[in-house]
Amino acid sequence: MDLMHHSSTFLLPTIPLHHGPSLTYALVVLNQTLPRFAPLLWKHAQLRLCADGGANRVFDEMPLLFPEEDASDVRRRYKPDVIKGDMDSIRKEVLDFYRSLGTEIIDKSHDQDTTDLHKCITYIRDFAPDVNKSSQLCILVAGALGGRYDHEMGNLNVLYCFSALRIVLLSDDSLIYLLPRTHHHEIHIQTSVEGPHCGLIPIGVPSRSSTTTGLRWNLNNTEMRFGGLISSSNIVVGEKVTVQSDTDLLWTISIKKL
Amino acid sequence: MPLLFPEEDASDVRRRYKPDVIKGDMDSIRKEVLDFYRSLGTEIIDKSHDQDTTDLHKCITYIRDFAPDVNKSSQLCILVAGALGGRYDHEMGNLNVLYCFSALRIVLLSDDSLIYLLPRTHHHEIHIQTSVEGPHCGLIPIGVPSRSSTTTGLRWNLNNTEMRFGGLISSSNIVVGEKVTVQSDTDLLWTISIKKL
Repeated sequence: MDLMHHSSTFLLPTIPLHHGPSLTYALVVLNQTLPRFAPLLWKHAQLRLCADGGANRVFDEMPLLFPEEDASDVRRRYKPDVIKGDMDSIRKEVLDFYRSLGTEIIDKSHDQDTTDLHKCITYIRDFAPDVNKSSQLCILVAGALGGRYDHEMGNLNVLYCFSALRIVLLSDDSLIYLLPRTHHHEIHIQTSVEGPHCGLIPIGVPSRSSTTTGLRWNLNNTEMRFGGLISSSNIVVGEKVTVQSDTDLLWTISIKKL
Repeated sequence: MPLLFPEEDASDVRRRYKPDVIKGDMDSIRKEVLDFYRSLGTEIIDKSHDQDTTDLHKCITYIRDFAPDVNKSSQLCILVAGALGGRYDHEMGNLNVLYCFSALRIVLLSDDSLIYLLPRTHHHEIHIQTSVEGPHCGLIPIGVPSRSSTTTGLRWNLNNTEMRFGGLISSSNIVVGEKVTVQSDTDLLWTISIKKL
């Protein structure tokens, strides 16, 4: 079984060279309050999409993260490449503003079968070959957690629907991503920005056997399921965690408040 | 609590909203808060030696085992504020508490949503309080795929429909009318939006 490496270098001020696999980042902004490190994610991303009302968030809240600067300057600097979705949340003034700056507007209001996040992931996977081509793609998502719970679950399901893609959901407090059962996993902990609180969650299907190293309470061919044991309130010890499991597991780790 | 009654004196509000019990491993409660409620007669149950279960788990156990007055004459329903949002591993641990105590009615509430378990052992009728909840809702097969779920009363009903993570789950659904029925081969999580009034 192949090894898959993971590292939250997108939370570092600068991404070290030759640090694990070479990743290209895309950022999707959904309609929740921007995390305080949104400008950092924006900086690392080569493609920035807003899903519908996520454009309102960038328009309203990016200037708040740069209170000493002129709001218009901040808005021009943080201009999404694409705004996509069913367009039922974005304000007209916001749409017009970004359209006038050259943002590509993709109206998918006819498609009610998939969530806004699902539409954005599909777009990045299928229509952004530059982002996909030369190195491994990693899609960072801001605003997928919190808010309406059915939305949060729908966003979580997107990780499982696109299990071959690297997709990271981020909030102010935590980040989460899938560890597909097809690989052994090495998670390199960026201790300056994340941890120590973590968890491994068997969403969707019970796990008959999961094994870890690098946690305070490691699993050793351990069963996990909802209604029984799940690994929450765990702690990373050191800088490397390994995971292997018979099922797709959700990895979550806390983000440090700095 | 005082912030929710800005026109009143903070001390009066605090005395009025006095918990009966404070329970947990006591690593977050401020000393001044602990002393204040202890002086008012709140029962303090220190479970700092027990690191195997979450604070919510400890509280549910306490209510189930040691609060017979609450349990006895009618059906108990445990309302939980603050279980969602924040650290994601905490949120998942709290969600798991619903599954661990599937025989109890436990409702997790946030400003935006409420969630509770629909155990597979029963058919369910959910009476929608349209003045305060809805219309956005969902049915989520968290722990185990569902081979067959059937609903009425939703915009997109299920009809012996399979649901699983990685495939179809019922999110961004809409309640139509005032009654939803659900039956399933597995425990489903019901969630509905709470209206902002």
